Amino acid sequence: MSDARTAVLDRIARAVRTGRIPETRSPDRLALHVSGQEAPAFQACAESLADRFVREARALGVEVFVEPTPDAVRDRLRALVAGLRVLSWNRDRLPYDCGTVIVDALPGSAPRQEQARADVGVTACHGAIAETGSLALISGPGCSRTVSLLPPWHIGVVRHDNLFATMGDFFQARADAMASAANCTFVTGPSRTADIELSLTIGVHGPGKVAVILGP
Amino acid sequence: MSSDASGGFAQRAHDALGNRQLHIALDRTTAQLGMRRSTAVASLDNFDEVRDQARAAKMQVLRTLGDSLCRFEERLLANGAQVHWADTGADANRIIVEIAARTGVRRVAKSKSMVSEETHLNGALEKAGIAVIETDLGEYIVQLANDRPSHIIAPIVHMTREQVGRVMHDRLSVPYSDDTQTLARYARERLRDEFLQADMGLSGVNFGVVENGTICLVSNEGNGRMVTTLPRIHVALMGIEKLVPTMADLDRFLKLLARSATGQKLTVYTTLIRGPRRTGDECGPEELHVVLLDNGRTKMLAGETAEILGCIRCGACLNACPVYRSVGGHAYGDVYPGPVGAIVTPGLRGLDQFSELPGASSLCGACRDVCPVRLDIPRMLLALRRQAVDRTPQPFALRAGLKLFARVATRPRLYRAATALVRRMLRARARDGWIAKAPGMASGWTAFRDLRAPAARTFEEQWRERQGSRRGA
Repeated sequence: MSDARTAVLDRIARAVRTGRIPETRSPDRLALHVSGQEAPAFQACAESLADRFVREARALGVEVFVEPTPDAVRDRLRALVAGLRVLSWNRDRLPYDCGTVIVDALPGSAPRQEQARADVGVTACHGAIAETGSLALISGPGCSRTVSLLPPWHIGVVRHDNLFATMGDFFQARADAMASAANCTFVTGPSRTADIELSLTIGVHGPGKVAVILGP
Repeated sequence: MSSDASGGFAQRAHDALGNRQLHIALDRTTAQLGMRRSTAVASLDNFDEVRDQARAAKMQVLRTLGDSLCRFEERLLANGAQVHWADTGADANRIIVEIAARTGVRRVAKSKSMVSEETHLNGALEKAGIAVIETDLGEYIVQLANDRPSHIIAPIVHMTREQVGRVMHDRLSVPYSDDTQTLARYARERLRDEFLQADMGLSGVNFGVVENGTICLVSNEGNGRMVTTLPRIHVALMGIEKLVPTMADLDRFLKLLARSATGQKLTVYTTLIRGPRRTGDECGPEELHVVLLDNGRTKMLAGETAEILGCIRCGACLNACPVYRSVGGHAYGDVYPGPVGAIVTPGLRGLDQFSELPGASSLCGACRDVCPVRLDIPRMLLALRRQAVDRTPQPFALRAGLKLFARVATRPRLYRAATALVRRMLRARARDGWIAKAPGMASGWTAFRDLRAPAARTFEEQWRERQGSRRGA
């Protein structure tokens, strides 16, 4: 296939000499930084990251529980998953010792068909994006992507210090973690489609229900 | 199947205009998508600034495309991916069939990929004895109905929910329903096993990040995540133009894409892929292949329409276009419809076969107004029209007529006399200020609507009179 590579690159080298590619101001001169200086508007109007995240997530149809203590987080999780078949990230990957309330949970290493039969998937998250109400999940040992994907319900446990204003902030702060992982997925609300007459339909392939427990 | 130039655009557009079902479906959706976009755009304080930055980044990538691709390839390899280059669609299909053969793949699950439509990949896989299933709800229904997608973002925008219900009833033997929630549940149930059993997941690519070899895929349904997570092989097929320089640029493009496409702030699932599964991972593909496809893109890059390679396939120009909204996507005769299709299709397939498409526009500029990358679509349409005219012999009557018009129009006195004559002729035909049937070549106009009679006195006459009276005062 190196023939095709050479041929394509040759054609490109010739094409850019004749092609009409509009002049634009250099992106460097335009670029405000993704983060920091480009102070998000909502900080100016004094809405906290947590408040903004909660508002955006709820607008997407995510059920959000804000809990003041680790105990309250665990109690909430215990109550939510009571009596359900639970699939979960490895217990040491969950904050607030949440693993202690789901001791019977299936791990992401269980056979796929078994995972697919779970009622609910429990994950932590590597970042919660206030601007969009998204959960950022970085794959890795103990953090199987299937947990937030196969069950019809996804519960994310979010530590308060994992809140970021924007996706750009997250990209900068978590660059190393993202570089060493195969996959980073931003989950922004429940699975949906509008393919049929644009009528909003929830829960096509991914979880139709998403809940977030936001801890201290 | 997906390239159908038979009959020409004019004939297909004419047929589409008479299709009542199509109009119900198009009316229900395109206006709605346009309104959602406006609302979403307003939710970003500095939308226009982000657009400028995104445009600059895309044009920068195109100017340095060779270097950008080499660098992207280098990063992909470092991330553990395998990279393939394809001159043509047939080459890309062959590469993918070979990967499937080498790794013993029997079943392929696909997430939505316009490029794979462009190369007719499904047909190639099936010919090689490999089962392939579309998993995006719209594309799944297209596949069941043996139809073609008619919109970049909403493939079955041309179908009503009743039609979808009948297709599912006929092909899946499920009870008829026109409730979208029920129809989506049918698809979820059927496709779940396909995801779990597929050996290969096939996806397109929304953005490739040059600086670190990240592949970005967005999907609302979650099928994009399924096909890149569950099967043991993942093949990502991408056009060579889908690059953005940095993660900071990716952040900007993501802000633009969902807002422009569906009116969301962000698509439900934004997946960034950095390679095959890592040691210790419980899931993810063992092999990641990236196929870089030219298929006519370098030809476009060399000419007047190079700019269109900055398109991020959001579909906003389709929803805004009065022609698309009247004739739908199938009239364009190939994979990419609407204003962007009128430029891309002649670029990919050749202007000779699709010389009518650049004419499928009123040049109103609505496409340019909504384009998140500010592509100057009307300019490119005009450039293609010029090329089409240059290379096709024009009828004698047209050439002679235009020459005559040029003569008259460049001689003010003659022009005024001629228009005065025409005005008198038209006014003589008018009734209550309207002309129901115009004479000669002008009859085309009145075939579908009345023509307003010209004013008794021209603007110029009135203007001169006013100037005169003002000076006199």
